[in-house]
Amino acid sequence: MKILVVEDEVKAAAYLRKGLTEEGYQVEVAHSGVDGLHMASVNEYDLVILDWMLPGIDGMAVLSALRHTRSVPVLMLTARGQIEDRVRGLQGGADDYLVKPFAFSELVARIQVLLRRASGSRGDGETLLLRVADLEVDTVRRKATRAGQRLELTPKEFSLLILLLRRKGHVLSRTEIAAQVWDMNFDSETNVVEVAIRRLRSKLDQPFDRPLLHTVRGMGYVIEERP
Amino acid sequence: MNALSTTAPSLRSRLSRQFALQTKLGLSVACGAVYLVISLTLASRQDDTLLQKRATVQRLLNEAGEVHDIPGIKHLLSDFLTGHDDLSLVVNQQDGTAVFDKNDRSRPEAMTKRLAFEVRLPDELGGAGRAELIYDISKDESLLQRLWWTLLTAAVVGTFAVSATGFVLVKRGLAPLNALARRTSELDASRLDQRLDATGQPEEVQSLLLQFNALLDRLHAAYVQMEAFNADVAHELNNPLSILIGTCDVALRRPRSGPELHDTLASNLEELRRIAGIVADMLFLSHAERGVAARRSSPMSMADLAAEVIDYYEAVLEESGLRVEVRGDVRAAVDTGLVRRALSNLLGNATRYATLGSMIEVRISRIDPRHVSIGVHNCGEVIAGEHLPRLFDRFYRIDPSRTNANRNHGLGLAIVAAIARMHGGKATAESSDQGTYIGFTLEDVDTQGGSDISRGSAS
Repeated sequence: MKILVVEDEVKAAAYLRKGLTEEGYQVEVAHSGVDGLHMASVNEYDLVILDWMLPGIDGMAVLSALRHTRSVPVLMLTARGQIEDRVRGLQGGADDYLVKPFAFSELVARIQVLLRRASGSRGDGETLLLRVADLEVDTVRRKATRAGQRLELTPKEFSLLILLLRRKGHVLSRTEIAAQVWDMNFDSETNVVEVAIRRLRSKLDQPFDRPLLHTVRGMGYVIEERP
Repeated sequence: MNALSTTAPSLRSRLSRQFALQTKLGLSVACGAVYLVISLTLASRQDDTLLQKRATVQRLLNEAGEVHDIPGIKHLLSDFLTGHDDLSLVVNQQDGTAVFDKNDRSRPEAMTKRLAFEVRLPDELGGAGRAELIYDISKDESLLQRLWWTLLTAAVVGTFAVSATGFVLVKRGLAPLNALARRTSELDASRLDQRLDATGQPEEVQSLLLQFNALLDRLHAAYVQMEAFNADVAHELNNPLSILIGTCDVALRRPRSGPELHDTLASNLEELRRIAGIVADMLFLSHAERGVAARRSSPMSMADLAAEVIDYYEAVLEESGLRVEVRGDVRAAVDTGLVRRALSNLLGNATRYATLGSMIEVRISRIDPRHVSIGVHNCGEVIAGEHLPRLFDRFYRIDPSRTNANRNHGLGLAIVAAIARMHGGKATAESSDQGTYIGFTLEDVDTQGGSDISRGSAS
């Protein structure tokens, strides 16, 4: 999977390259809108990550020029947290947007969604039976069992568990969890997510030897089997 | 004044010019009227004189026919004309033969007024004839001419005189304005406490001065608030920044193991998230401050909206043994995302300060057909009156050394107030030993407020 990153800030471009390469993508970087447009027109990419604020021609201009020739998925990065900008970006042909500053895990999640959408496959997003180690969750019958034991979960705990399982191995930030499970699309000053995780953990992990739900300090939470 | 003249003529020159124009017009009308009246009066007096003399001449000739011969008649007529230098008489027989002719032919025709009439003559002169009275009006004409020149001179001189005094008067009248401009220019932009002195100023200028001072007051307040705000922002950001610098510094002083560095980075990330949170909230507030209005969706139940937020807090509420009840419901067209956020901030606030195991109420009601009130009531410590109005200020904390300052950077209620403003409402706070109520009003643009449902649902 080849990704083009159009980002003028050298440090930002460097960490994006590093992080995405480690996620297994082939990454190429353009530091200006002109370079980015040229590279995107000449080479084939599976995805373009486009910064809004670029010197010379800005992201919107690059996007509209690019849309004449290519239908590659474009993820816009914007520093302006304004709804108007987001709407404009999406109308201008961007497939998704992300407001700076963002969690890297969030970026990876968005990229996966866009790539999946582009390749037409539904991926494991719709899997009915989710499994990790001895945990098994039936998303249709809304039943969760661990080591054969039924877990009594509230509806929200169930949604939270499914979200973590669908993205197993990926760290989810508190903000993302709040948005996905409760539709709260803003940074909350509360510890709601922490408490919800703690309660889920008390049912999911506490009665068993090996914990599956892990806290990644400063980043968020992940479900995975750790040795 | 010179600087102003590029945009509009100065008040002084404009007023003076209009003054002069007015004077000229007024004097012209007055002088014209005087001239007209006098010339009409003179003309009618001339006509009267002629008519009167005609009657005299006719009477003389009627009577004379009986007693006098022709020389006698001539004598009689000469007698009649004696003492009337300005009057001449010509009497002709029917066939045109002159009976009496005392006309000064040197008089210009224009300076005379004539009146012809039939007269009776003695029978030897044909019995009938024509007479003509010639009235010399040159004296009247020259009088009129003198009057004309006098009036014209008076009008011109008067116009100049009045204009000149008008100019001086206008200048004197506008002096307070000039003084005001001078004093305004003396105000120092860096000293916001200076005000203009309104005492002893004319009424018109005084209201301007008061307005100006009020404007300065508002500017001053806004400036002070901005200064304080800047200081607060700097202070809030300073804390996490100093932690970041410190931990990085310490980490780099010695060779560290991987897990140790990992820990440092994770800790740093937490601090950075905190900074990012503050910045995001401030961006939101500045966005709201710029007067962006809410994007309203179609009317929906506010109780449903509250239930969603309560659902979000479910775990936290249960941990603290708190119960939540929604009282009342209203259907309103609001920006659901924003109202949800405001409610979340209020509920988060309430869960932090509510007495353990107590009841929290979400109160929803319609104040009037156009306004909706939404708020959260919780039992807990009474907030002193002096803090209440300031609760919605950015970064305002009742207790500056609060322990959980880590998570709450003091913008939550400011955001509530901003969301209320974006909906044309305002935030309110009350506190007594009955509990604390913090809420906001919203302007409901949808006017069909009849569909309110009254219900209470416990959660």
